[in-house]
Amino acid sequence: MPDNIRVLSVLVEDGPNTLSKVSGVIRRRGFHVRSISVGPSQEPGRSRLTLQVDHGHAEADQVRKQLERLVEVVEVEDLTGHDVHSRELIVAKVATSEVAGLVQRGARVLDTGPEGTTVEFAGEGKDVGDFVDELIRHGIVDVARSGPVVMRRTA
Amino acid sequence: MVLEALEREGVELIFGYPGGANLPIYQRLPGHPKLKHILVRHEQGAAHMADGYARAGGKPGVVFATSGPGALNLVTGLCTAYMDSVPMIAITGQVNSTQVGRDAFQESDVIGATSSVTKHSYLVTRIDQLPRVIHEAFHIATTGRPGPVLIDICKDVQMAEAENVPPERLEIPGYKPNGHVDLERAQAAAIALGTAERPVVLAGHGVLLSHAEEALREFAERAAAPVGTTLLGIGAFPVKHPLSLHMTGFMGTGWNLKAVQNADVLMMVGMRVDDRVTARLADFAPKVKTFIHIDIDGSEMGKNVRPQIEVVADAKQALKAMLPHLPELDKGRGTWLAQIDAWREEHPLRYAHSNGHLQPQDVLIDMYKRCRNEAIVVADVGQNQIWAALWWNYDRPGLFLNSGGSGTMGFALPAAIGAKFARPELPVWCVAGEGGFVMTAQELSVAVEHQLDVKIVLLNNFSLGMVRQFQDDFYGGVRSQVDLTHMPDFVKLSEAYGLPAVRVEKFADIAPAMDAAERTKGPFLIDFRIDPEAKVYPIVPLGKSLNEFWEAPEDA
Ligand SMILES: Cc1ncc(C[n+]2csc(CCOP(=O)(O)OP(=O)(O)O)c2C)c(N)n1
Repeated sequence: MPDNIRVLSVLVEDGPNTLSKVSGVIRRRGFHVRSISVGPSQEPGRSRLTLQVDHGHAEADQVRKQLERLVEVVEVEDLTGHDVHSRELIVAKVATSEVAGLVQRGARVLDTGPEGTTVEFAGEGKDVGDFVDELIRHGIVDVARSGPVVMRRTA
Repeated sequence: MVLEALEREGVELIFGYPGGANLPIYQRLPGHPKLKHILVRHEQGAAHMADGYARAGGKPGVVFATSGPGALNLVTGLCTAYMDSVPMIAITGQVNSTQVGRDAFQESDVIGATSSVTKHSYLVTRIDQLPRVIHEAFHIATTGRPGPVLIDICKDVQMAEAENVPPERLEIPGYKPNGHVDLERAQAAAIALGTAERPVVLAGHGVLLSHAEEALREFAERAAAPVGTTLLGIGAFPVKHPLSLHMTGFMGTGWNLKAVQNADVLMMVGMRVDDRVTARLADFAPKVKTFIHIDIDGSEMGKNVRPQIEVVADAKQALKAMLPHLPELDKGRGTWLAQIDAWREEHPLRYAHSNGHLQPQDVLIDMYKRCRNEAIVVADVGQNQIWAALWWNYDRPGLFLNSGGSGTMGFALPAAIGAKFARPELPVWCVAGEGGFVMTAQELSVAVEHQLDVKIVLLNNFSLGMVRQFQDDFYGGVRSQVDLTHMPDFVKLSEAYGLPAVRVEKFADIAPAMDAAERTKGPFLIDFRIDPEAKVYPIVPLGKSLNEFWEAPEDA
């Protein structure tokens, strides 16, 4: 991963302004979002964001510190360089029903029809990248890909 | 409900302007005689008044504005307060909650427009949120690193009736304003500074906000360390103290800049270390081996200068924690202080006094002789601001107010009005250039209406002075769009507003005009026609290092 990218797990209060405040701070400080995924956390009223952020010319820890200043932000964990589980999800449609190669790699078939087959695959960023190469060989019709969700390894 | 909540927070004064989306609040206002409301003439004026009120008195300033244009007129004032960490509560009216998002009349996304210039903001769409929101807002605005908080209240919420239950305990999980002093680091900082050969301390606005000036003085005296201040830190350390380095930064004093550039340990307290302080960053304090940074906002650590020792804490607590760990004084320190004294002699503040024109410094020196440290000076932005910063000898906090971070022209008059409301016992002097003055001059009506003793010292040089100086010195001498010959006759303008005023063109007329200003109850304006070529010195040319400051030519 390029040096300038920080991977952050951010616990936020749910609210109509939260996402725009988080993205506003990132923009205003000259950082750049590479990926973002959001979903509910285990605590009611709070969501977890996983962000990959390019910190540009600022010091690396500025991303965490600037996010921590937001009242909506409850907790920031900088996971860059830590031993983590990182998963991305991809859903893709290919123009063929011959998808044994994909299934062999761990894809799950969601539906098939005359126009093609829809498959899903989850894995580390690199595996997802390899999977995309494989998809290209099958002729991609459409693809939707999530940013990573990341969690520290237990051990 | 809004007004009861404000009373509960101890609010006495509100600066505001009514309009469609906040009329329900105004309808109830006469029923709350304890809340005094000042009707401004422009919402920006309200924000700066609340700002001056907070800076001078320490209590958060409160502003009301209506939706759309009213709220948007606050933006510059919010930014000014935000950049300088001034506590303020802005309460704006919003369209009915059912109309939000429909481009209703005078609807604008005020939260969106202000989130980069507020510490926090709320959109209130339900009455039951209101007590908690107002209570939280005051807490957030005034604690930790202070700042403006905006509350946008939908009109239907303003009209709703509900039982007025005071909020329960404060619970804001994402808000952790105060770091505790890390004692190990405080000790390391004290030892590093105390054992330095050439220590320098710089103090910013954070020292004033934390009321740390006494702790700073004690610390500096015990450590025999010289202390400079930033523009906003003026008052944190007495200018006339033998250890004073006066103001730092790219228009700081020569002896300050020499000291900073030669220091081996630099301790920065309650400041952001912005580009106006460092000049060319790569060459800032190049001989420093240990930077110590104390600030309540952890994100300031390493934002511009990476410290070797960082203490994220309130300035006063940090200084108090450090004091007992200062080592015995090294006798070598005398050499460093003697060197600084030599620089002070070599690079004094000076100005061309005898070129036949009225000099701004002459005006300020006369003013200081009369007021000493018993007056508040509120400066605008530009040359007038730097002259007022350098040519007074402020010895304590709260006597010099200005827009440092944002550099907002038009700040001085409304902020001076706000300061006067906060500190009625002190004379308040507003120092402004004619360019900035006319940006908010409509607020003269407020000064007249309330017969506020605000003395306006216009340093009128018939141009946008600071910009002219930059063009002359750093942009090839091309004077472009800085001429202000076409301005109102300020004496007549004052008369039209209903306040007395005089014009001064010669040195000999300074004192009589000042006498008249002091004698007069209520506002008074003096139009000082100063040297149209006067410049601010010292100054570090843009893009250069602090070492390369230019000084005023010696007097003929
Ligand atoms: C609102 C705003 N617009 C523009 C500027 C840029 N600016 C900084 S100083 C200055 C000149 C100010 O002229 P004047 O008010 O006459 O004061 P002087 O410098 O002559 O004392 C200008 C235009 C600013 N700081 N604020």
